[in-house]
Amino acid sequence: MIEVEHLTRRFRELVAVEDLSFRVEKGEVVGFLGPNGAGKSTTMRILTGFLPATSGTVKVAGFDVFDEPLEVKRRIGYLPENPPVYPDLTPLEYLRFCAGLKGLPRRAVAGEIERVAGLARLDGVMDRLTGSLSKGYRQRVGLAQALLGDPEVLILDEPTVGLDPLQIREVRELVKSLAGRHTVVLSTHILPEVAMTCQKVLVVNKGRLVDFDTLDGLIRKHLPGRTVTLEDIAFLEEIYSKLVEGPAAAAAALAGLGAAPGTAPEVAP
Amino acid sequence: MRAALAVARKELTAAFTTPVAWAVLMVIAFFAAQFFNGALDAFRFLTLRAMQLQNPGLLERLSLTERVVAPLFGSMGLLLVIVAPFLSMRLFAEEKRARTFELLLTAPVRPWQIVLGKYLAGMATMAAALLLVALFPLLLSFYATGTQGGAGVEWQTVGTGLLGLLLLGAMAMAVGMFVSALTESVIVAALVSLLFLLSLYVVTLFTIGMEGPVRELVLALSASDHLTSFLTGRIELKDVVYYLSFVVLGLWLTDRALEGARWA
Repeated sequence: MIEVEHLTRRFRELVAVEDLSFRVEKGEVVGFLGPNGAGKSTTMRILTGFLPATSGTVKVAGFDVFDEPLEVKRRIGYLPENPPVYPDLTPLEYLRFCAGLKGLPRRAVAGEIERVAGLARLDGVMDRLTGSLSKGYRQRVGLAQALLGDPEVLILDEPTVGLDPLQIREVRELVKSLAGRHTVVLSTHILPEVAMTCQKVLVVNKGRLVDFDTLDGLIRKHLPGRTVTLEDIAFLEEIYSKLVEGPAAAAAALAGLGAAPGTAPEVAP
Repeated sequence: MRAALAVARKELTAAFTTPVAWAVLMVIAFFAAQFFNGALDAFRFLTLRAMQLQNPGLLERLSLTERVVAPLFGSMGLLLVIVAPFLSMRLFAEEKRARTFELLLTAPVRPWQIVLGKYLAGMATMAAALLLVALFPLLLSFYATGTQGGAGVEWQTVGTGLLGLLLLGAMAMAVGMFVSALTESVIVAALVSLLFLLSLYVVTLFTIGMEGPVRELVLALSASDHLTSFLTGRIELKDVVYYLSFVVLGLWLTDRALEGARWA
């Protein structure tokens, strides 16, 4: 569904993404992991056609982002890092605007807005000015926008930022329910989130791909001989620090975790 | 086209939810009323003088359209140039500042559709401002009658005057929108477009004492000089071309600026 080949993006002398290649199959939920400034957002912006690549190709559903941007954009629902909402519009006005922008059939608009508002749990705030809503609600308005029109591919840049723990769980359930029918790429630096929602993990560091595998594959590769369950979140943290900082830091992270076993943040239900 | 209309509609909703558009309309209405009263007083003074001079020919030649409406429209030209940057400043700068620019550019629409939608919204507000201005000649027509008993206001001249103002507004909006697409700051957008438009408008001041081709050139560049024939009831091709070329250039450059912003 998504094919990225030798993708490089430079901002003047700064190299944000370097020689990145990966494939995401239809229906997969892929977690995009990496420290701040690793190039996650830049890659997502290129996938959605917002930024052009310096070199390399990106194809979504067989269409090249650079050559046929409209075909690609029609198939992508995108939630940027900062929810792109207008403080002077109500969520209802905003979603109507987005529906027009995406060119949804006129008759379907009202029903579609109701559907995404339900999914993002916006009931009760649809007629309030977005500027007066809390950050969590603004994030959910942005999410509703991404879901509008039921696009095949969803690109979510840190979808759970600003949400409270219960809302985070709702969003995770939502993402999980999208798997299969939709292809989802979501970035986060909350590790449990990846373990709970994603089938595959893509780890980037300093603009380069460090590893791309299923959770099981990562465990087998980096923690051979260890049996871990999804409830045991610490393992992912260990793998992550191994990949991003090297083995020494991984040991330190493990020691830190070992000091307080059982306090791993939030356990899968 | 549907996307452009969606953008225009959103833009108008936002403009009239926030006080910006209302404030601009208020400024227009207030100053139009002042200029109208001033011109009317001057006209009354003139008719009194003509009566004192016992000169019926002069009295008959005094035209309300020429003496009241034309000066009002002339002053409104300057006012439009001053307020237009405040209508156009938000168009793109605000989208960039609020990070909603990403939403527009990742939607399945071409940038020119966004440009067109924003411009349509700007022009709708501009047209609303001109409707306020048009109320004054209308008001005049209720009370005035012509010397031969006909209408006291020459509607053709009023019409060409309004057309001239609309073209001037269209130019100001296109220039302002382009400047707005270049920056993230609405204040910078407003001030830079104000500087550019006001310079073009008052550049005629420099022609005093000038002669020859330089004077011709300065007059040809002036946004106010191209308005004068509209105010006297004439539509001249060169004036229409002057304003429309700014509109076309402004829209085209805005489209280019959006594309360029992605490559920076």
